[in-house]
Amino acid sequence: MIASMLARGGRGMDRLSEAAVRPLTGLLEELEFLAVVLISAGALPRGEWPFLLRHIGQQVYFTAAQRVYLFTVMGLVIGALMAFPLIVFRIQDPHLLGRIMHILMYHQLNPILATLFVAGLSGAAITAELGELRANQAMDHLMAMGVDPYRFFVLPRLLGLALALPILVCWLNIGVTVGAAAVLGLYQDLPLAVFFRVCLADLNPESLALTGIMVVIQAIHVALVQTAGAFRVGAYVDIPRTLPRAFAQSFIGCLVITLLFSLVRYG
Amino acid sequence: MRVCDWVLDREPPPEPFAFQVMPGELWMLMGAVDSGRRELIHGMAGLITPRAGRLELFGCDVARLGLRVRARLHSQIGVVLEQPGLVPAWSVFENLALLVRYHRLASNRTVEDYVVDFIESCRVPRAILSRLACDLSPLESRWIGLLRALILRPRLLLVSAYLPQETLAAGYDVWAFFSEVVEPMRMAIVVDAGPQALPISAATRLLVMDQGTLLAFGSAGELAEHPNPEVRRHARFAHA
Repeated sequence: MIASMLARGGRGMDRLSEAAVRPLTGLLEELEFLAVVLISAGALPRGEWPFLLRHIGQQVYFTAAQRVYLFTVMGLVIGALMAFPLIVFRIQDPHLLGRIMHILMYHQLNPILATLFVAGLSGAAITAELGELRANQAMDHLMAMGVDPYRFFVLPRLLGLALALPILVCWLNIGVTVGAAAVLGLYQDLPLAVFFRVCLADLNPESLALTGIMVVIQAIHVALVQTAGAFRVGAYVDIPRTLPRAFAQSFIGCLVITLLFSLVRYG
Repeated sequence: MRVCDWVLDREPPPEPFAFQVMPGELWMLMGAVDSGRRELIHGMAGLITPRAGRLELFGCDVARLGLRVRARLHSQIGVVLEQPGLVPAWSVFENLALLVRYHRLASNRTVEDYVVDFIESCRVPRAILSRLACDLSPLESRWIGLLRALILRPRLLLVSAYLPQETLAAGYDVWAFFSEVVEPMRMAIVVDAGPQALPISAATRLLVMDQGTLLAFGSAGELAEHPNPEVRRHARFAHA
């Protein structure tokens, strides 16, 4: 009886320690994957540049250009939603409104929202596409015939997302500002020009650079998690299992990255 | 291509083996299910690593090469695995042109002519080029997979798949295809596709595998007299 209780307790401790170590193991695996991609990128022959540039362009097009409409609508609606609590709490000081936009939206929520959409749309598409190429042996064929899969499949997606996500965050910021300005102008008679001016006033190069670096790291994280998930696919049945797991993992990682950067910025 | 002291990564560890394939030779892998034929082809293609041993491709020890040189060597290998492995969302042309562009076998302007000339020389209807790979029938997918491996004009062809007996052109069988298109390329060929896959005779070279190791190799005629009954069985089957 006591022995079985002890054994159960021991198993519970094992599980707890596994759960505690899992994020660290995940981080190490992600860094290892990044190292392999960078080593492959280092051996990029001159002849592969056109491929790389074309595929980066395609990734930016699919991730950013095709989502402009979606991000415009989303930005306007979120801006309007964000303005209503300010109206309810009767916050009318333009400078305070500008600070709230900066701290809450530009540097925290908008990057998270943009990453959420990119992980859900482009990230999931990447996992599904590459997972299928793994499952039907297309990647094995190309690898055996001299095509480096990390350089050909991962690097352009990683660089494409790292370029596209900052563009989308900027676009979302503009949409949110316009949406908030429209609602505040309507209910509090705050002139649009004044609101835009206070929103721009606090933008300094340091805070922009910090947010830019954060967004690029988030994009790299999303690309790595999604492509590494796809590379682990062995058969078609693994794809539907991998998709939600990779999405959740990439989103949680982005939340942690935002938290770390906020600690650096405000902590 | 030379395989030296090769030990497949399986339990229990099999006996090491070695063999050599010269340009223009066709070797057929024979053996029961799970005898290690698939692992051998995948290992020679660089997709899995053996427990021990060395692989020499065109005179170079693959393990000692850097990434770029290894990729250049692999650009001279054509591979056909168990599944056709086409990119489903791409057209047949894009699937065939990818490796031509990637390994710069033709300039951007001449890629289309290169691909069209090649498939016409294989008597494949040109109309197939504009179709999406996901819309192809299993027979068409198999053929396009084989043509993608051959379009590189490789020095070594590794086949680990069932090769369809019929081609995409009426009245043109796989034997005629091999003698007209493949043989003139003078490549070394290793096929794991069963005794019916390619034209074989008493002179056809066989690699007989069992439990992860190579039991014997030589022409079907020689192996028909081999002391091991397992080898004799495969050699007779092939010879018949």
